[in-house]
Amino acid sequence: MNGSTRVRRQLPSSPWLFAAPGLLVIGAFVLHPFVSTVVNAFTDRRTLVPGEFVGLDNFRELIHDDMFWIGLRNSTLYVVGVVPALVVLPLLLALLVQKNIPGITFFRSAFYTPVVASIVVVGLIWVWLLDERGLVNALLETVGVGRVGFLSDQWLLLLSAMTVTVWKGLGYYMIIYLAALANVPRELHEAAAVDGAGPVRRFLAVTVPAVRSTMVLVAALSSVAAFKVFSEVYLLAGPSGGPAGEDTTLVMLVQRTGTGLSGRVGYASAISVVVFVVTVALMLLVLRADRREES
Amino acid sequence: MRISRRVLAAAAVIAVLPLSACGSGGDDGGSADASGKIEGDITFQTWNLRANFKPYFEGLIAEFEKQYPGTDVKWIDQPAEGYADKISADAAGGTLPDVVNVSPDLVAPLAKAGLALDLDKAARQYKKEYLPGAWAGHQIPGMSGTYAFPWYLNTGPLFYNKSLFDKAGLDPDQPPKTYDELFTAALRIAEKTDGEVATLANVPTIEDFGRYGVPLMNKEGTGFTFNDAKGVELLTKYKELYDAKALDPQALTATPESSGKKFLTGAVAMNPGSALDLGNFKKQAPNLYKNIGITDQITSTGHVNMYVMGVMVNAQTERKPAAVAFAHFVTDAEHQMSFAKQVAIFPSTAGSLDDPYFTQEDGTDETRVRVAAAQSLKTAVNYTPVLFSEQMKTELRNAVARALQGKESPKEALDNAVKACDRLLQQQG
Repeated sequence: MNGSTRVRRQLPSSPWLFAAPGLLVIGAFVLHPFVSTVVNAFTDRRTLVPGEFVGLDNFRELIHDDMFWIGLRNSTLYVVGVVPALVVLPLLLALLVQKNIPGITFFRSAFYTPVVASIVVVGLIWVWLLDERGLVNALLETVGVGRVGFLSDQWLLLLSAMTVTVWKGLGYYMIIYLAALANVPRELHEAAAVDGAGPVRRFLAVTVPAVRSTMVLVAALSSVAAFKVFSEVYLLAGPSGGPAGEDTTLVMLVQRTGTGLSGRVGYASAISVVVFVVTVALMLLVLRADRREES
Repeated sequence: MRISRRVLAAAAVIAVLPLSACGSGGDDGGSADASGKIEGDITFQTWNLRANFKPYFEGLIAEFEKQYPGTDVKWIDQPAEGYADKISADAAGGTLPDVVNVSPDLVAPLAKAGLALDLDKAARQYKKEYLPGAWAGHQIPGMSGTYAFPWYLNTGPLFYNKSLFDKAGLDPDQPPKTYDELFTAALRIAEKTDGEVATLANVPTIEDFGRYGVPLMNKEGTGFTFNDAKGVELLTKYKELYDAKALDPQALTATPESSGKKFLTGAVAMNPGSALDLGNFKKQAPNLYKNIGITDQITSTGHVNMYVMGVMVNAQTERKPAAVAFAHFVTDAEHQMSFAKQVAIFPSTAGSLDDPYFTQEDGTDETRVRVAAAQSLKTAVNYTPVLFSEQMKTELRNAVARALQGKESPKEALDNAVKACDRLLQQQG
């Protein structure tokens, strides 16, 4: 067998060999946990007890679990409250910082700072701000409004957590929009201006259609992230999930149910499966809406 | 060489399969025989102690290794936050250290899973060295045996802000001694300050119910009973406080840390604590320290609440003699006493609390608190049932919050909490 034949014979398998390390990593750290979660969802497994197959029992129990419905409600509300803001506000912010004027880098960096800040630090700062004796309440008191229970009222707490999520996410999506805006042909704006379109008209008729696919991407990314929210609510509402657990989200419920020495891993896995199904459905919904609009 | 898809799939499965063994705990506890030569490498895990007590533990380990040549103790310290999660990950993954610092509620699931060594079998000879109540602290209802050496105990007084008492027209030198006096004082402070100052910042926990005299669990350890008339009475009184703003509005989401901060800033008039806190007050809130009042924990039972720490031996350790010897070494009278002199904790060894260090005051607040606490520890009770898991704490907390918000009556809320906790108890097995 000469050398060229050997090379030729090795060729069909070599892509697999190159892919093997990646496949192993994906298998071990993505596929295996995913499959384990799905399998566990049909067992009564606990942290220290392997458990047995229980069929759909965990899912039946979910239907009767008030806390699950509270979690589903809050996670859904989070999507409804956060996604529109994260689709629109970063675009407006990107338009503001798009122009290359002196000192604009400072503003871009400033708007991006919350993205790189640790969520724990961000949470602590917002807790100080929104506390009954925090800065925001001091200001409200000064103007005669009186103290507001941002961290003690169920709905205000959820709204506060949404505000933190939007505040922290603005810079990230702004960068995505900046990249998209850079690709909008200048001639279109010029042509629209020649036709007498003002800035608002140009934004609606030129900019928005040009960045529409980016808006869809932002909507998809932010809706998945919003449905899986944990840190912001956990930091503001505390480990119990707000007063009487009324601000618990689904991922918080997974954490609370499935961790610790007495954790119900099987039940928490069942909730995780629901979260997975809903997030996939959300993605499909956004993409389908986009396709319909395109057609 | 051509690799078939089947071979690739098999290789991937083989690579991934070992991971599926994770979390398959529940093995039998193994032999409880700890006799044999004390030698070999062992690991020792503490709970957030390295930052302040590194020299103490390094000295302790060096002393042990010197006393038992051929032993090598590797010390691991874990942060306080998420300690139970770290232990559960180790227990599920089969990497639990040989000797572990635990609290009774952490021991219970580990003992049930066969991961905690029964010291009544493996180390019975040491039992007499400890206070009987402390030794019993790591026994699990429904199981025979004792599953950890008692280590340090802690309890503490109730601190109050004398200036806030004064402002409300209450005698700052006559703090409340009974629950009735506490509730009356709290309503008075709220009324006089127009709801600006709350007296308490935490909702009642299971220990509070215990201190109030509520029976928490049946004798067999198979069901909770804190929904009895006394429990309902306590929750009804807390509801009155909440409505009158005598209980901080953020109490429903408060943690001990956040309520401690409120006390430091003068937003709250009373807060439970320990002798450790006095140093914090002095450093972080000198003005509060000048006005600090110290009174005994309020109980209807005559027994204050105590927290018990233990040192557990991993039942599956391959170095049982060394692990048991080291766990005993850490918790023996001499070492507990030297540890107690470094930090405001109390030894669980018999006779140690009679040491002059715990019986003689020198006129300072620190010694006053220490002596009073040591005295009360002789009859103190760990009210938290060892089977009361984190999930159960959340159920109770949420039920209390629903009652305080008026969404459920105190009776309904406690009935629901008991039902939920009983269900979790059954699921624990």
